[in-house]
Amino acid sequence: MTVIRLGGYSIRLRHRVLAAVLGSLAALVALAMWSAATGSTSLGLERVWYALIGQGTKGDEFILWTLRLPRLATGLAVGACMGLAGALFQTLTRNPLGSPDLLGLTQGATTGALIAIIVTGASLQTTAVLAAAGSLATGLLIWALTRGGDPSGYRLVLVGIGVSAILAGVNGYLLTRTTIVDAFRAVYWFTGDLSGRDFTQAAAVGTVLAAGVLVIALLSRGLDSLRLGEAAATGLGVHVGATRVTALVTASILTAGAVAVAGPLAFVALAAPHISARLTGSSRSFTVSAVVGALIVTAADMIAVAGVGDRQLPTGVVTGVVGGAYLIWLLIAHRKKGVMS
Amino acid sequence: MTASPLAAREATLGYGRNVISADLTVDIPEGEFTVIMGPNACGKSTLLKALARMLKPSHGTVLLDGKDIHHQPTRAVARRLGLLPQSPTAPDGITVADLVARGRYPHQGILRQWSAEDERVTGEAMEATDIADLASRGVDELSGGQRQRVWIAMVLAQQTPLLLLDEPTTYLDITHQIEVLELCAKLHREGRTLVAVLHDLNQAARYATHLIAMRGGAVVAEGAPADIVTAETVREVFDLPCRIIDDPESGTPLVIPSARARNLV
Repeated sequence: MTVIRLGGYSIRLRHRVLAAVLGSLAALVALAMWSAATGSTSLGLERVWYALIGQGTKGDEFILWTLRLPRLATGLAVGACMGLAGALFQTLTRNPLGSPDLLGLTQGATTGALIAIIVTGASLQTTAVLAAAGSLATGLLIWALTRGGDPSGYRLVLVGIGVSAILAGVNGYLLTRTTIVDAFRAVYWFTGDLSGRDFTQAAAVGTVLAAGVLVIALLSRGLDSLRLGEAAATGLGVHVGATRVTALVTASILTAGAVAVAGPLAFVALAAPHISARLTGSSRSFTVSAVVGALIVTAADMIAVAGVGDRQLPTGVVTGVVGGAYLIWLLIAHRKKGVMS
Repeated sequence: MTASPLAAREATLGYGRNVISADLTVDIPEGEFTVIMGPNACGKSTLLKALARMLKPSHGTVLLDGKDIHHQPTRAVARRLGLLPQSPTAPDGITVADLVARGRYPHQGILRQWSAEDERVTGEAMEATDIADLASRGVDELSGGQRQRVWIAMVLAQQTPLLLLDEPTTYLDITHQIEVLELCAKLHREGRTLVAVLHDLNQAARYATHLIAMRGGAVVAEGAPADIVTAETVREVFDLPCRIIDDPESGTPLVIPSARARNLV
């Protein structure tokens, strides 16, 4: 435990959290550099550096600035958004499975995307906007349905599962109304992918991320107290209702931003907070969750680009496989330990 | 009646349409150890929740220092009034010192997260509850009685003159019940105003300096234990025929259920 005090400012840093933040950040930087250097054309770090400072060849600069960096930046921001959203949902539901997938936000985004694909024939922008709207609307719907009643995480989970089931039905119906070409596009979209993303999209999701980080910074101490239970948090002077609503809306916006740009990359939001918790111990850290989310998406995207044989894969295929395997491992490990944390 | 830092005024309390108490007026006397008691579903926990601002009256008000508790900033209230809930949850793997430190929340801000004052008060709270030597232990490794002392230490770290405790002895064995009640009595002697919901009538009579007996959502009797723990009141509140004798240890009233009461079952 290290305490830093400077005038009226004081903060307490747990060594383990500090180590987890620095360690995961270092891993992320290393992975990002590796990702920029490798791919179908291997540049190596030296050529990446020259291209980065504008002294590389035309070809190298094109590969770096047009193909790799926008995709890398988008992946980092999307992963961080999902890591934060997952951490918020798990805190709110007090459930280790709390995630945008479980609560129906992903299904809501898919509904929006399907409408866009059917009505507009899959313009990338309309799909993004309607997917974000679908995800946000689902978040608000869940909030409206849980408002007033027992505010426990349990109810939030059940309402979310209900909403998710309804939306899955709607999505199934919408798919039957598409042509085979649109249905293919839709399936491709809800697998989630980062190929062909440019800096505009990176900036959009980056803005959402920045806003989310700001709100979470203000909210995190209250959310920490909420982990003691509603009653204890009220006793400590936390605005329980306001904190929960703000957290739910923030998580929905973060999900919407990520899903709009990359589609619902499966399991990132679920896995990131769990891996983060393994790294930090009892004190949950939103920072580590965000960094781990970015790590998962970047790593998955590198595997996706490498592909199977000479075919690249959609990023979501890899995050799904990696995340699913992780979840099963988690459940088995817990069964062995005989506890569920 | 002495000055009352905390009071309910014609408060209607309940959950949704289910009204538990109507027009309830209660004064918590300053500097006393008040125990609210009564049979199951008499509204005692509901009253405590209302006093702790966890439940907003549908009519009437709860007053803290003479002002509506719901019109005061909740962090300011948290510096006046501490709450030990019935079943708080300790995050997995949290240490004793970290949990007690959570009590400093209403005194902290985003820039002022851990002042020298926070550190001193947290240490004092652990000394007062006799858990200082457990500071680096995990809360989940502790016994029920130790854990309850840790939660009380967290509430003490809030540094509030008023403490509300919702059934602090439930789920504890008799030794730990007495341990927790002795701690409460000590906190009362040091000058704090305590309000607790208790199940055990004899423990209430021994430790409380002021008793509030409830039944059917209403206050049936109120006053010093020696005055109100009588065979008549106990029969009225609990439907229990009994005799009252002097507790040979403390001299407080001791309720002895009548032998024939057993045959009623």
